[in-house]
Amino acid sequence: MNNKTANLIDSIKNVASNILEKDIALVTGFSERQAEAISKQALIIKAGIATGEIEDDLIGFFLDGLKHMVTNFVNTLKGILKVVLEKVWNGIVTVLYEAIGIFNV
Amino acid sequence: MDLNKNKILSNTIKMKPIKHLFLKHTLLLFCVLLLANCKTYLAPSYNQTIIDKSTEATTETFLFLAEIAGGTNEESFSRRENTYNSLISKFETLNLLAKARPVPSNKTTEQINNLLAERNSPTSSSDYPSAFAFNRIVENLVKMKEKDQSSGLSPIVIETFKGEIKIFLDQAVTYESFLKR
Repeated sequence: MNNKTANLIDSIKNVASNILEKDIALVTGFSERQAEAISKQALIIKAGIATGEIEDDLIGFFLDGLKHMVTNFVNTLKGILKVVLEKVWNGIVTVLYEAIGIFNV
Repeated sequence: MDLNKNKILSNTIKMKPIKHLFLKHTLLLFCVLLLANCKTYLAPSYNQTIIDKSTEATTETFLFLAEIAGGTNEESFSRRENTYNSLISKFETLNLLAKARPVPSNKTTEQINNLLAERNSPTSSSDYPSAFAFNRIVENLVKMKEKDQSSGLSPIVIETFKGEIKIFLDQAVTYESFLKR
């Protein structure tokens, strides 16, 4: 493997790592916040049902809410994953185009 | 007359290579433009208006929830009705704005969706997680308004509504902010 090839491989690795490092940190923060908030929410609902303050008409609504928030938490992660993939793809294509020396994407 | 005819004929012969050259250059330019557009889009575009409007609606919602944190009764509902209506309309607008953007559809996104579906990942409204979150906030505010009007709200019920709204706001704002790339 010559120097040029090694440099190109390094550039591709760097661009992917930089994007992933930054975005994974953001995703981790979001996931931790959500896990904590959803757990707290479940406990608040439990306490409200126990004291009778959350009545029958609201129990179903809040339990549905728990289901929806978990579903949409996963869907938000899916959406973020698509953005991360897009950034990595475009980053690598840019490096390759620069290496060819034609133009930047 | 013959001289003129010859002149026209010679011009036509000369034009042929020029036309050919023009076609060649156009084709080359087209190829360059095609390659230059190799950027892939897998998610909707970023919209600063959504971020601005959701920040504004979030502040107003939390202000309202702080004002009524101690509980409410149905007699004083009329004083809060306009605030409920204003907040509901703001989040409905955000739901519309979030859904108004086209979602790029290509083989890559289809493959990602298929892969996630195979692993039993939830599929509902997966293309617009922020729109789903804004819609659920609207549902919370509507339910809260109905309950407030019929029997008032106890502090723990308000806290439960606040908890759900906060979780959906975090999902919506995080996703929308991530679209800035």
